[in-house]
Amino acid sequence: MIGQLRAELLKQHSTRTNLGLLGGMVGLVAVVILLHALNLPADKLGRGAAQLMVMGQGQRLGTLFAALLGAMAITVEFRHGTIRPTFLVTPRRGRGVAAKIGVSMLIGIAFGLIATAVAIGVESVALRARGIELQLVGGDYAQLLFGSAAGAMLWAAIGVGLGAVARNQVPIMVGICTWLLFVEGLLFGDIGLSDYGRLLPGALAQAASGLDPQKQLLAPGLSLLLLALYAVAAGVAGWSAVSRRDVA
Amino acid sequence: MGSGTRQAGIDVLGTPNATDSRRPDPVVTVSSLTKRYGSVAAVENLTFSLEAGTVTGFLGPNGAGKTTTLRVLLGLAEPTAGDALVFGRRYHELDGPGKRVGAVLESNDFHPGRSGRDHLRILALASGIGRRRVDEVLDFVDLAKAAGRRVGTYSLGMRQRLGLAGALLGDPDLLVLDEPANGLDPTGVHWLRNFVRGFASQGRTVLLSSHVLAEVAQTVDRVLIINGGHLVADAGLDELAAGGVSLEDHYLKLMALEAAS
Repeated sequence: MIGQLRAELLKQHSTRTNLGLLGGMVGLVAVVILLHALNLPADKLGRGAAQLMVMGQGQRLGTLFAALLGAMAITVEFRHGTIRPTFLVTPRRGRGVAAKIGVSMLIGIAFGLIATAVAIGVESVALRARGIELQLVGGDYAQLLFGSAAGAMLWAAIGVGLGAVARNQVPIMVGICTWLLFVEGLLFGDIGLSDYGRLLPGALAQAASGLDPQKQLLAPGLSLLLLALYAVAAGVAGWSAVSRRDVA
Repeated sequence: MGSGTRQAGIDVLGTPNATDSRRPDPVVTVSSLTKRYGSVAAVENLTFSLEAGTVTGFLGPNGAGKTTTLRVLLGLAEPTAGDALVFGRRYHELDGPGKRVGAVLESNDFHPGRSGRDHLRILALASGIGRRRVDEVLDFVDLAKAAGRRVGTYSLGMRQRLGLAGALLGDPDLLVLDEPANGLDPTGVHWLRNFVRGFASQGRTVLLSSHVLAEVAQTVDRVLIINGGHLVADAGLDELAAGGVSLEDHYLKLMALEAAS
């Protein structure tokens, strides 16, 4: 299993894919935070809850990109045919999927931390430039960073599981983006299914980071536990799909 | 891949597993193998076996079921019925299959953005094979100088050689090659032929699928010809030669008979 993990780690850093994802994420986080921090009214941004929600855009994008990197970890193998040599040297396919999940979770932690750290840094500089005092305390930052890392880690595992089921790169990438950026927002916010919406995996990742100004979400610990169950379910589904299906 | 020493031999190969070379059982045993995709039978009731120290050509027209058979044999597809065993076991039941069996199924199973060396290092890590072996096989297939380049910049022939290097990483006793000469220049084809013969002369086994009958005739000991998922011929090259029939004539006659039936 150690060999599979080392092989997977080398797979993920021997191409420019993850570097491109990281660059895209950092750039997007910086732009989104700047747009919010420079354009929202100063009286609104003077409140701690608003400052935290703007920083939360980093958590949101970190989660999204971690999920994408997880999905790409396996769909790229089907796309380029490297899944054949992969399964020839690791015919017990569950091990290969487990290694992908393990390594993707590790990189997911880094993505979650970096996205949130960039969000904190950019917002702090922008608010100071506007003369707005930061209202957040150490505990807020710690919760935000820890929750973002943990949420991104679990979403990376979900991405691998979903990618293993779907195999095809484009639909799964579009699906993850659509779900996290639009569908949950619609269900939870616009349609108002808050009782059920807070059980959705994107909302759980948000809750884990303490991004709950209206106190609608579940407690961070419980959210992480439920999100971990989603990750386990996606991992099992991916393992099952990869183990059962033929490789063309 | 073209230096005199490499053309002449198989210097990258270690000593074959003595236990395996004495093994009375066939290296490959395919028994009543059937593989269906929905109502379509890609392979039906196929039976053959391969003995150690032989090179067997696996021939047939496009869609005959060759690739499906190889995929079932290598654990990439599940049989609908029957068995395909390697060293007496299903592929996924082998301990360290990367060290027993080497295979090249497609000439393009690489990430174009990854270097040739990293591709091999990944396979080596997953198989528990040391880094030195990666350099050995790269040198053997004459890709050492291009090893740091991204595979997307490789020619088809270079990709074939990289695939072969991956198959040889574990110093296997069985090689399964699907169209291995595709994209190789004449020197490369000559080298491959000598390599395959040398490999088998060490008591190891090669199953080689190809459409290039003239090349197959110079390389293999025996041919298995399938059509429509059925085995239609299993003959030694010496038997064909004794009958004064060339492989190409034999193949074309069989296909004509199959088409008429």
